[in-house]
Amino acid sequence: MIVEQVLAASVIMTTPILLAAMGGLVNRRAGIVNIALDAKMLVGAFVAVVVSSATGGWFVAVLAAAFAGAFVGYLFALVITRANANMIVAGLGLNVLVAGVLGFILSWVYDSSGTLRLPDVVLLPHILPQSLEAIPVVGEALADLDPLTVFAWASVAVLPFLLASTRIGLWLRATGNAPQVARAVGLPQNGIKEFSTAFAGFFSGLGGAHLALASIGLFNEGLTAGRGFIALAAFYFGRDRPVVTALVCLLFGFLEATQIRMQTAGLPPKLVGTIPYLFVLVALCLAGFRNQRRKALS
Amino acid sequence: MSDQAIAQNNGVVPDAIGKGFAFVFPFIAAIFVSGLALLAIGENPVDIFVLMANEAFGTERRIAATLSAATPLLFTGVATAICFRSGVFNVGVDGAFVLAGLAAAYIGFTLPAAFGVSLIPMAFVFAALVAAAWLYVPGYLMAHYEVDEVVSTLMLNFVALGIAGYLVNGPLLSELSGNNVTPLIHEAAHLPRLLPPSTLHAGFFIGLLMVIAYGIWTRRTATGFEGALVGLNQRFSRAIGISVPGAIILAMVLSGIVAGFGGASHAMGQLHRFVEGFSPGYGFTGMAVALLGRNTALGIFLSAVLFGALASAGTTVQFFSDIPLDLVNIVEGTVMIFAVVEISRLAWRRRRKAA
Amino acid sequence: MDDVTIRLGARGLSKAYGAVEANRDISLDVAPAQIHAIVGENGAGKSTLMRCLQGIERPDAGTIIVDDNEVTFTQPQQALNLGIGMVHQEFMLAPDLTLLENLVLGDEPERVSLGVLSRVDWGVARTSGETLAAQAGVTIDWSRRSASAPVHVQQFVEILRLLRRGTRILILDEPTAVLAPQQVDDLFALLRRLRDGGTTILFISHKLREVTALADRVTVLRRGEVTYQAAISDTDVDTIASHIVGGGDSSVAPVRRASNRSSVGASVFDVTGLSVPSIDKSHALHDVHLSVKEGEIVGIAGVAGNGQDELVECLVGLRAPGDGQVRLRDADITRASNTERRARGIAYISADRRHEGLAIDASVEANVIAGSQRSATLKRGYFLSAARIRALARDRLERLNVTFGSLKSPASSLSGGNQQRLVFARETDGDPSFMMAAQPTRGVDIRGIEAIHRILWDFRDRGGAVLLVSEEMDELLALSDRILVMSDGRIVGEVEGDKADPQSIGRLMVLQDREPEPAHV
Repeated sequence: MIVEQVLAASVIMTTPILLAAMGGLVNRRAGIVNIALDAKMLVGAFVAVVVSSATGGWFVAVLAAAFAGAFVGYLFALVITRANANMIVAGLGLNVLVAGVLGFILSWVYDSSGTLRLPDVVLLPHILPQSLEAIPVVGEALADLDPLTVFAWASVAVLPFLLASTRIGLWLRATGNAPQVARAVGLPQNGIKEFSTAFAGFFSGLGGAHLALASIGLFNEGLTAGRGFIALAAFYFGRDRPVVTALVCLLFGFLEATQIRMQTAGLPPKLVGTIPYLFVLVALCLAGFRNQRRKALS
Repeated sequence: MSDQAIAQNNGVVPDAIGKGFAFVFPFIAAIFVSGLALLAIGENPVDIFVLMANEAFGTERRIAATLSAATPLLFTGVATAICFRSGVFNVGVDGAFVLAGLAAAYIGFTLPAAFGVSLIPMAFVFAALVAAAWLYVPGYLMAHYEVDEVVSTLMLNFVALGIAGYLVNGPLLSELSGNNVTPLIHEAAHLPRLLPPSTLHAGFFIGLLMVIAYGIWTRRTATGFEGALVGLNQRFSRAIGISVPGAIILAMVLSGIVAGFGGASHAMGQLHRFVEGFSPGYGFTGMAVALLGRNTALGIFLSAVLFGALASAGTTVQFFSDIPLDLVNIVEGTVMIFAVVEISRLAWRRRRKAA
Repeated sequence: MDDVTIRLGARGLSKAYGAVEANRDISLDVAPAQIHAIVGENGAGKSTLMRCLQGIERPDAGTIIVDDNEVTFTQPQQALNLGIGMVHQEFMLAPDLTLLENLVLGDEPERVSLGVLSRVDWGVARTSGETLAAQAGVTIDWSRRSASAPVHVQQFVEILRLLRRGTRILILDEPTAVLAPQQVDDLFALLRRLRDGGTTILFISHKLREVTALADRVTVLRRGEVTYQAAISDTDVDTIASHIVGGGDSSVAPVRRASNRSSVGASVFDVTGLSVPSIDKSHALHDVHLSVKEGEIVGIAGVAGNGQDELVECLVGLRAPGDGQVRLRDADITRASNTERRARGIAYISADRRHEGLAIDASVEANVIAGSQRSATLKRGYFLSAARIRALARDRLERLNVTFGSLKSPASSLSGGNQQRLVFARETDGDPSFMMAAQPTRGVDIRGIEAIHRILWDFRDRGGAVLLVSEEMDELLALSDRILVMSDGRIVGEVEGDKADPQSIGRLMVLQDREPEPAHV
């Protein structure tokens, strides 16, 4: 019983992080460290709730969330590519700006502070028949499966191919790996960076939509709770490789899903929550030590 | 990370003609964006801005509220600028500030009240030690192992929040009052309030002292001079005999000390305890302060007061006119983004297109 | 084959950067299917000429000829379209992509065109790679990550990439600088095969043995002008070398000023058995011995890239030697840090003024007092005194007559000569006993050169010891009391300053070049 619940919860908790991480990974492959994934998730969540309530359709809502995220991402990219802004400061600034704009809209348009409850919000459907719940271990997870979760894992399967074998994938990798080479062979570098950032926004928007529409059906200013940064931690630790990153996301999702249970087991959830970030620190240190050793050897 | 906009170095980089403009430009952008937001909700931006200016500086009490709101930003602004001018992209001031606040509060409520006023310096020193040690780690890793300081300090922020959140909900939780707060510190350890009933406290003067000390450090000390050169050109600095790793670690440690004082001041003067949500992003607003102030002492002071004014005016304007407080975040975010945009480059592009 | 006499050429090409004339009235003809070598010292104008030929730089005067027609390039793309492509010293391969990915990057074959979303047809890509490799007579493991491939293979791939994109005129910038001897042979075999297949090749090199072994014709540049052109069959290494180093030209040669001391003093700076292993792109040092005495300027002559940079860095403490000893007076400073060496009285004039000699964006004042910031003379009480800093800065600048607008203006606002004088003003203050001067007049105009030479003489006449590394033969002859010749990381000869002549030194410089090296076999 517990195993089934934990598994189902882990899968659900993983999806938003996974989506944002896949977007951020592609972005970083193109040479942009996207520190504003969280902002785009927030935008996605907000738009998803509003559109779902207004249209009564989850699919339209999800699509709108994704494009809203992509649009914000594109604007963000323009600041970096065309006006040469530092991507870290601009990213942190965007996080603050988006929080401000959403809060502003929330309190002005909806006259609420912090939380937005709208009538008739349609949640993500479960795509498999609920009778599957009877299957041991995986039953609950299968029954809870929603389209965005399927999409997220499908993207994990497809991204390696897209990156390896398509023209845009090759260009992306070249731009991030060796900008001077990309310039020398005449690749449209700015366009590639803008595309990849919009892509990251698209996926983060989806992640936000999942947060809002998977089960709770409302928007809250603190809804993302730093998940954009956990996604950042995931692809840093996964070294921008989709499958490894996805597994790291799954681990983070599992940690989140078991937080409550850990507390009853005497493990403080706040400390457990720092594990993703400690992961990155360890990964950074290992890479640093390895570089140093290589230098010392030669 | 070697963006010119970030490694602004006062004292060593000559005054550019555009410096004044560079200070004003992000604000023009912010006024424009927030003005749009106000127009969108059918308010007259000019009226609101005038109202806000009045609310921020109109009376002695309002000024006190503004300076009170500016106090933590003086510390975080200086802490950020110390690193930025040395080419160290430290975004971990927020985490250091939070841990320091907890450390100071811990001294303030665990040591016997009999220590009296001497609790204050003890708390400040302990807080500074904790924060300095905290930032020493990414500094050391950056100086000796080239570990990217942006990501390491960013991640450390979350770790700091996690640790503080754990302590304040567990071992250090107040038995008297519900959740997420520590016990109150002894009354003797409170920093004196300057203009009651305003919350403006003596920490403001300590913050001012930090800004002044920062100004002296940048212009009147060898290590301050060295930091600026390291921020500009590491190869040159090495050739001239400056220890680049030393300068990087020093910047981080000094930044930690100032952030630590800031956390202590906020705990001992403002809240009189540690609570979860101790810093609503003071460290990040501090980045905006440092960037807007172009890492100069005067600039940091002015920017801190400006952001303080926004925060205090935002709170009261919300009462009078239904203008959401979030306007403050809109302004802050816009300022951060436009503080790092290269205006010269934009202008140059336009000229080239015209030609 | 087409009926073209000049595949690529230049007529009266001139290009100046400020007061420095990088190219002056250069004319050049390269026939189709020929390997044409361009040789000259650093700063002789080779790279400017190449930049003009590629359309990266627009000449001030003169024209470029492609296939017998005059052309004007307004952007690099035009040169590319006419089939002009360059292989840079820093290879233009993305390290994390495979060799095959690098080969097709920017021009990928596709089965169905979907724009950027097209799937790259790796089968076709591989076939075209293998065809090219077969034509060039090389074998390449295409699925290898570029960074892990041997250097010469990376170079091959870069050449093949250019050929694949229609390059008919290949420009190679010192292609052998990073290669081992066996790899050089492989590269030359490839280049000859390409030439025989109709490709025209411009080959830039410092190594004269390679030039005579490979090229059909040679053009020598010196101080921005063509000083010599010949078919390889009509010339030899000595003749080319003498034109590279020049020196016979009395109108531009600076006047020599001998030491005013009757005899030089005690030894100040001694180096014994200094060795540095070669790491990736740096050059090794082998068992270097030298000593510099009080009141003496010792010059180091040599073709660029023969270990001079490494020697300089070891001596000033910016690089740790593998073996050997460095002594200043009686102290062993082999393991001393750069900071400690400076404190003991070593001055350093960096060859890279803009990046190491100066913090170019910092103020004149900051640049001229840098390094003294901890000195007690700048402090009043505990803190630095702005007045004392200003006074010291002015004092130093005035002593060497540095012309500057304001102490607060950036160092970049000064002319090249004044920038370098600023460096000297900083480095010579406090009477250091030893000065390491690397390329002290690089990028400085004639008047500035004279002033800097006077500074060096004065320093010597006050009893200072100078080690001077320069690629300017005239400068070495004018300044040095002794000249050591460096080749392949070794000191291969020594000549007394007043007995030195360009020809004998030039011969020593290329000595190692001509004789087979047992070390590598």
